[in-house]
Amino acid sequence: MREQAMQLNTNPLQRIPGVAVMLVLLCVVFSLMTPGFLTMPNISNVLVQSTILLMLALPMTLIIMTEGLDLSMGAVLTLTSLIVAIVALATGSMVMGLLAALAVGTVFGVANGWLVAVVGIPPFVATLGTLGMAQGLSLIVSDGQSVVGMPAAVRGVYSGTLAGVPLPIILALGSYLAFHGLLYHTRFGTYIFALGGNREALKFAGISARGLLILVYALGGAMVGLAGLLMTARMNSGHPTAGLGLEFDAIAAVAVGGTSFERGNGWLLGTLLGVVTVGVLRNGLNLLALPSSIQVASVGLLVIAALFVDGLRSRS
Amino acid sequence: MTQLAQSKAAEPIVRAPPLFELRGISKEFPGVKALDDVSFSVWPGEVHMLLGENGAGKSSLMKVLCGAYRADSGSFHYNGETVEITSPADARKLGIAVIFQEFSLVPYLDIAQNIFLGREPAGRVPGTIDRKKILADARRVLDSIGFDIDPAIQIEKLGVAQQQMVEIAKAISQNARILVMDEPTAALSDRETELLFALIARLKADGVAIIYISHRMAEVFSLGDRITVLRDGRRIDEVKPGAVSSDDLVRMMVGRSVDMSYPRTFAEAPGKVMLEVKGLASASGITGIDLVVRQGEIVGLCGLVGSGRTEVVRAIFGADKATAGQILFNGQEKSGGPDEAARLGLALIPESRKAEGLALIRSVGDNLIVSALRKIFPRGLFDHGKSRQVANDLVRQLRIATPSDKQAVGLLSGGNQQKVVIGKWLAAGAKLFIFDEPTRGIDVGAKAEIFALIDRLVADGAAALMISSEQSEICHVCDRAYVMRDGQIAGELARHELSEENIVKLGMQHA
Repeated sequence: MREQAMQLNTNPLQRIPGVAVMLVLLCVVFSLMTPGFLTMPNISNVLVQSTILLMLALPMTLIIMTEGLDLSMGAVLTLTSLIVAIVALATGSMVMGLLAALAVGTVFGVANGWLVAVVGIPPFVATLGTLGMAQGLSLIVSDGQSVVGMPAAVRGVYSGTLAGVPLPIILALGSYLAFHGLLYHTRFGTYIFALGGNREALKFAGISARGLLILVYALGGAMVGLAGLLMTARMNSGHPTAGLGLEFDAIAAVAVGGTSFERGNGWLLGTLLGVVTVGVLRNGLNLLALPSSIQVASVGLLVIAALFVDGLRSRS
Repeated sequence: MTQLAQSKAAEPIVRAPPLFELRGISKEFPGVKALDDVSFSVWPGEVHMLLGENGAGKSSLMKVLCGAYRADSGSFHYNGETVEITSPADARKLGIAVIFQEFSLVPYLDIAQNIFLGREPAGRVPGTIDRKKILADARRVLDSIGFDIDPAIQIEKLGVAQQQMVEIAKAISQNARILVMDEPTAALSDRETELLFALIARLKADGVAIIYISHRMAEVFSLGDRITVLRDGRRIDEVKPGAVSSDDLVRMMVGRSVDMSYPRTFAEAPGKVMLEVKGLASASGITGIDLVVRQGEIVGLCGLVGSGRTEVVRAIFGADKATAGQILFNGQEKSGGPDEAARLGLALIPESRKAEGLALIRSVGDNLIVSALRKIFPRGLFDHGKSRQVANDLVRQLRIATPSDKQAVGLLSGGNQQKVVIGKWLAAGAKLFIFDEPTRGIDVGAKAEIFALIDRLVADGAAALMISSEQSEICHVCDRAYVMRDGQIAGELARHELSEENIVKLGMQHA
């Protein structure tokens, strides 16, 4: 019993198959079907395109681990992307744009956390409400028009490189490492496991679940602000539907990555793999010149397939 | 010790004052007096048993102790000094730790992180945890209670008994001097129970005071230094185990004399064979199971936890797929799954009523008729009047104590919930009732009622197969019993052979 337990514990690879098998399978299939898939520029392209999704999926993992959900991420991303564009256009400063976006994103995150933790509205409903508000605000601030004419510094965030590595990759990698450290090596991370796993235990330890929840959602909002900068940089403009439906991809990536919606069972590396899997899937279908409607359906299918495989494995 | 044991809590103490004492604690909720002038004390190195039926006030007292409830009146004394407990933090500071039945552990954190939840040693970078130190500290605590396990193992990977050890380690790490345990052996096997008792002896020797809540007479006598009996929120008496019999205690708990022999009308002649199992085996490890249940019989299925009892009834019911053998129900071969079993008239009443048997937030009426909808409304149209009539008939017939058929099942006592489960199957037309630990978590008075109900069912032409770890129940209630060992039937005991001694012998002996 004891040896078995230790073996399981020291071998997180046990949990990989669902998502990793899927990723490898997709890569094999796409490289056989399209000659352009397995090339350095395309691989780099997939990774760079996945960075925005990763920035949403990382905090989404923590939120889901608290048995919560943030449906507002896509809409808030649209809003923060527009804020970056508008502020950068007005001030000529990328940094000012970023700061404004971080502020707006954090406000939405705190609002989500407050509604969930203090008011006690179920996360699904609370964040559905803020989704609507962010969508409406996006239309108001942009007047339904794209915001164009970005300073070069904005564009540079997406196209620039550092020591040959694209800046978005560096930002994404930094974010991943920061979240990894946060989840696995800090008190805050420990308490996130407890928020979903056993909230009573936290209460008995004298720790306020409310404050923690607000912090988790606020962190999500801030990351959406950062992702807003990448989004604007990528399109070199602000667009009132830029982040449409990205919360779907983020939740899909988390689910594909093996994080459970119950009992605080989360896995950050799985989320990273999940994000790349979603990215590879969309890229491959793109190269095959399939319409985007097929892509959305495929991501849905991917989630079901991954959870199906996990379900089969946990049953045996 | 005699002196101490007999000194009433409110009287002046001659020797050292008790480590902890409650005097005249009362707690009232709208309409219910949960605790009424309860006094209670505990000395270091003592196990003080707290005994009472469900609803007697044990949980309320525990919640007052751990600071979850605030007492309306009364006082607390620690080493003779008056103290206040108004929050969980107060209780913790006094060294009071409660091990609830529902553990307060986080499944996907490891043992060390759980032991020190909220008290993690700080690492060099602010906000981080010193991983080396937390593991070393955890190991030291685990060693101190003699629990040899790697503190880096996730809670999720541990069994119930091991999780309980972690809970105890957690309490010890908080310098708990007063440990409150709520039915700690309820989910443990015999072997695990022995380990727990060894640990309790060790804690006693270290001077920890233990308040132990139990339903089991055997452990009350073997473990307790003193016994306090609660009933209806009041303290009935404090006694020493040597001075009373278990019948005395039961009388104090229920306030009336309960005949422990559970009246049973045994049929004069055996009825026709209802269930016949031949050479049954399943992937869960049971092999060569032969058994027979006749109409009008209650047949026991006993053996140690893990001997394969639950696996046998699951295979009979079709919840586990049989890999060999034959199941005949009323002479008809049964090969399908649970839906076929239910259609034929088999009812499986599992141990975890809450998880598998009932929709707790739905009403008594809804739960009673849910399995019988097709039978009551063959045309598929729901009729409220008729459904309430059927439900109310069952409530009356089974004597379910509920204000109305609209009450949520979750609000009923364990015994009445069990009756609702039985009623649900009865409505569906069940003929053979298979019970897995039908009286677990049910208090003494309700047990007698459940058995009276089962007795009426079988007298009316049904039959029952009953798993129970309480051997005295099997002996009192059953016509016959099969004893299991290592996935096989070790033997069958006829009515006149049924005794706890014979059951234990068959269950343990090596052929």
